[in-house]
Amino acid sequence: MNALHDELSVFAGNILGAAQPTPLFDASTHYTTDIGIEVYRNNYRGNLQDALAGAYPIIEQLVGAEFFRRLARDFISLHGSFSANLFDYGAELSDFLMGYAPAHSLPYLSDMARLEWACHRAYFAVDAAPLELVRFTQVAPEEYANLLLHVHPACHIVASAFPIVEIWQAHQPVGTFEIDLARGGEIALVIRQDDVVTVRELTEDEAHWMNGIMQGQRLGEATDATLNRHPAFDLQNTLLLLASLGVWTDFTLGELS
Amino acid sequence: MNSPATVALPCVAGIGLRAPHYQEVLDTLPKLGWVEAHSENFFGGGAPLNTLLKAREHYAVSLHGVGMGLASPDQLSATHLDALKHLCDVVQPASVSEHLCWNTVGGKVFNDLLPFPHTFAALDHVVSRVAHVQEVLGRQLLVENLSSYLSFTSSEMSEGEFLAELVQRTGCGILFDVENLYVNVRNLGVDADEFIRAIPAHAVGEYHLAGFSVRDGCLVDTHDHPVHDDVWTLYEKVLHHIGPRPTLIEWDGDIPALSVLMAEANKAQQRMEACDECFA
Repeated sequence: MNALHDELSVFAGNILGAAQPTPLFDASTHYTTDIGIEVYRNNYRGNLQDALAGAYPIIEQLVGAEFFRRLARDFISLHGSFSANLFDYGAELSDFLMGYAPAHSLPYLSDMARLEWACHRAYFAVDAAPLELVRFTQVAPEEYANLLLHVHPACHIVASAFPIVEIWQAHQPVGTFEIDLARGGEIALVIRQDDVVTVRELTEDEAHWMNGIMQGQRLGEATDATLNRHPAFDLQNTLLLLASLGVWTDFTLGELS
Repeated sequence: MNSPATVALPCVAGIGLRAPHYQEVLDTLPKLGWVEAHSENFFGGGAPLNTLLKAREHYAVSLHGVGMGLASPDQLSATHLDALKHLCDVVQPASVSEHLCWNTVGGKVFNDLLPFPHTFAALDHVVSRVAHVQEVLGRQLLVENLSSYLSFTSSEMSEGEFLAELVQRTGCGILFDVENLYVNVRNLGVDADEFIRAIPAHAVGEYHLAGFSVRDGCLVDTHDHPVHDDVWTLYEKVLHHIGPRPTLIEWDGDIPALSVLMAEANKAQQRMEACDECFA
């Protein structure tokens, strides 16, 4: 086992690093060992690049195919893969783009990558049936404050100083291409309904409340915190709107405080 | 432990079910013998899984994994195996297969199918992992021979001998990729006849056929071309020695129209039927 580990570690180094003498391999092939290693090196980079292109189609459209290839190459040289499932690769692209000098002229790129990653995860998230609204009627009103709402595994919130929801919509098949970047930030809610991932805008108070719920706060606690910051927050409308979007899958009653 | 391959796929030609064809297949329900899908593409839920479940209503499904890394020195990923187990429970596939390769060392994952030295120590290691996977899944696993671009000087047996031992000790089956064998013959000077003789015919549960490309004299298993004439010839030889088995046309790059895939599958079907007579 140790010999296997040692030999494959050397092979791994060959794939990740530059060509180097490799006595591990039979040199009697009609092509050189370096060519064999180069095939594996190309496979490694190509598979990760395809994974990035699959997860970030809007980033690729925004920067163009050629720039995206360069960006992907630079990202892959810094970020190895940690999962045998290629759909798990590329989570760090948003952070990477924040410090990526060649893309500095597109300041919204990092936030768009965060939104696209949320959509990518939403697409592959496990299934969960939406909560039937009638179940709320089975809760005694004095228990409302203690409700712990369970959020669908595909649901994510992404906030940005840029109009990321508008940019996302512009890159959908029926999108429009008139975006005023100066119009300010948007908060995106990513959801999956009938297997289709969609993005819609949340208001600040909705997002504040929803973040509290997603952090595991009870309904009363999250609502009080939001009302403190946003006195006009409408709990009932928000709860029902999110229910209509399939955000809730279940609820339990938290301990009485 | 030395039981025949227990594959519930019909003994006809099938095709790899890939994303560009999902909609057409579900809309038109073409006459396909069976379909094979890459397991990892359906981990999780949502649209991918539901597409596969719809296909499952009309076709026998084979789940073909590319990520288990049966020979990796690192510990087998419980998360990965759990995801495969869940998928098998939901899909109830006719066959489940993985590759005889590694993909993880020291926490670094290579999303590729990598060769390893065929040593006795590696055999012990792979035996215990295949046994564990079969125990968790509660079913037989088919293990596929690999296409390689390098071979290790430390190998102590051929790949065919390695697979034969693996079958003997775990009761797993073999997914015989005829194109992979051809690639190894051309790249590494592997003896095709020795491979065919070495593996137990009764354990072969499925064949794969695909096209390759050539880079700097090296045949690369790219699955982006029609099956090469030499591979058809080798397939006929394999059919003659081992007998007809469910046979898959794999196409993963530059994926052509569904009709092209079906025509390739038909070529395999004709060869299987011609061979049926020699096994009748």
